[in-house]
Amino acid sequence: MKIDVNGAEVFVSTGGRPFDPDGTVLLLIHGSGQTHLTWLLQGRFLANRGWQVLMPDLPAHGLSVGEPLTSIPDMAAWCAQLLKQTGVKRAHVVGHSQGGLVGLELASSQPEVVASLTLVATALSIPVNPALLELAQSREEKAIAAMTDWGHGREGHFHDATMPGLDQMNFTSHVMASNETGALFADLSACASYDGGEDAARSVVCPCLCILAENDRMTPARQGRKMAATLTDAREFVISGAGHMLTVEKPYEVLKGLRGFLPHPA
Amino acid sequence: MAGDYKFDTLGLHAGQSPDERFGSRAVPIHQTTSYVFEDSEHAAALFNMEIGGHIYSRLSNPTVAVLEQRLAALEGGVAAVAVASGMSALFLTVLALCSAGDHIVSSSQMYGANINLFEHTLSRYGVETTFAKPNDPDGFAAAIRPNTKMIFGEVIGNPGLDIVDVPKIAAIAEQAGVPLVLDATFNTPWLFKPLDHGANIVIHSLTKWIGGHGVAMGGAIIDGGNFDWGQNDRFPTLTSPHYAFQQVNLWEEFGPLAFTMRVRSEGMYNVGPCLSPTNAFHLLQGLETLGLRMERHMSNTQKMLAFLSAHEQIGWVRHPSLDDHPDHDVAKRLMPKGAGSIIACGVKGGREVGRAFIESVELASHLANVGDAKTLVIHPGSTTHSHLTPQAMQNAGLTDDMIRISVGLEDFDDLAADFDRALKIAGKSVGGSK
Repeated sequence: MKIDVNGAEVFVSTGGRPFDPDGTVLLLIHGSGQTHLTWLLQGRFLANRGWQVLMPDLPAHGLSVGEPLTSIPDMAAWCAQLLKQTGVKRAHVVGHSQGGLVGLELASSQPEVVASLTLVATALSIPVNPALLELAQSREEKAIAAMTDWGHGREGHFHDATMPGLDQMNFTSHVMASNETGALFADLSACASYDGGEDAARSVVCPCLCILAENDRMTPARQGRKMAATLTDAREFVISGAGHMLTVEKPYEVLKGLRGFLPHPA
Repeated sequence: MAGDYKFDTLGLHAGQSPDERFGSRAVPIHQTTSYVFEDSEHAAALFNMEIGGHIYSRLSNPTVAVLEQRLAALEGGVAAVAVASGMSALFLTVLALCSAGDHIVSSSQMYGANINLFEHTLSRYGVETTFAKPNDPDGFAAAIRPNTKMIFGEVIGNPGLDIVDVPKIAAIAEQAGVPLVLDATFNTPWLFKPLDHGANIVIHSLTKWIGGHGVAMGGAIIDGGNFDWGQNDRFPTLTSPHYAFQQVNLWEEFGPLAFTMRVRSEGMYNVGPCLSPTNAFHLLQGLETLGLRMERHMSNTQKMLAFLSAHEQIGWVRHPSLDDHPDHDVAKRLMPKGAGSIIACGVKGGREVGRAFIESVELASHLANVGDAKTLVIHPGSTTHSHLTPQAMQNAGLTDDMIRISVGLEDFDDLAADFDRALKIAGKSVGGSK
């Protein structure tokens, strides 16, 4: 569906199903330079099993217009506004990478709207190499290539996929290239400048799940374990053989982790 | 594109991880029609395209999927669908984009069955085609209409060897908001990758150079994932609710994969020209050595061009690598490693001498195929393009004396000796030119 959030028309996938804000709502937040297609192999499955799914494209990403948001707190506030405008009082929040930082900030600043928090390939902070930041600003296609390379594990680099015929490396890079110019730089800048992760994690009161990728070169699993240890009520779910883009690389395993944690929809 | 393994490495490895249970190094042949579901929920999720996996080998198959993923990797696409033949690849592409009342702009210099599909078959279902010369970008631009759904051409035309100036035509297509679909059979991704130059969809007859050994039929559609199907309401098959799959909007839910999902969810479901797993295996064996074979194809082609050009019984030689070819500059710019291993030529004395030559070669084979490891010869006017009308033949650049040579991998000295002997026999047998 397309809705207006803070004056800009944005696209929010509901997994192809009608959305009921009174059901068990999942808010799935994508990472830096990504779109709702991060959840290609989870979102529609969950939507067709009774969950009420919201998978937004952040402004300037995917099918959404508007100016990119420039800080993690701004993104969290934007997600809260999205929930408000869709009539959702409380949601189970799932964030990938930068989306996890947004989830942490949302659960910390507005605990009343977050029923649970799932952090997929996330850490308390996501420092960004200055060279990558510079590339994202000056030669975005090079930054996309580098992130696609680092973001995938062995199976990605061997172009193997569970979805017949899919080339996940090329898919990832084309999804990233579909965003407005400048969106990736804004995202990476927001990650680089965010230092509130640890404080936010200490204040989160809802149950949390940390889904970690064993071969993650962007947010290493050891950083994810540190995050899990900082959270009050967190469990870990480690996926072996996966890189940072585990939602496409190991889609079944991610679904398994989510379904083992999320309440079955009413 | 992303940092990646190089061409020859991808040709050997892409799309496959050795299976965990047996560790098979070669790609296993999954000779099965169907796949056991874990439970009812798993079955339902597969049928509704919510997760990846296999249901029935008309739709997908693990061996075929390795081939698809390897081709997508080599061409730089987001996905590929392998099918029974190159012709079915073209038909499923049209099916995914066009409905009655729609329009196609196509190159006029192509394989005869392509021309007949557009001119005679699709027209019966209300899809009209306007043909343009492949080396006339303005002609393509002028032919585009509001209801045009695709621009099509062969990168290297069969058999006239005209070259589509891909970047120019791609710019025209992009300006018009129409996808550029190219048949890349004659160039293979080793010589030229159309998606890197602005094309949106690539199709192949895998039967030719990619398979390379004349043992298995196959085709493929590679989706560039680089076309904005949602820029307007021109492509309702991709941006309107699907009639099945709970009315999914493919563009919204699959993004760059929308076209591939339409091919899979309609073309393979409702038409079903699936590739057999065993043929996929054979084609994969060919693909593993594509780089090596293309090097030899191209070096033998250069030698054959020199041989034919110097031979007293050859009237004319046509190949884009030759200075006098009208598309020579385009070929040099787009394909610096060479413009394919097909040569068209005319034997002095016309059609009858040509026929005698084809019947006199011993090493080269007279048959209707190209891209084999073995050298092949044929007279297109009486065979591969014989179903065209005289006007269509003329439009396709076919002359009565044209012989098509598909240069193979033999030791060139043996090939030269075979051709020289056959040309002399042909000249004497019908009193042709000495």
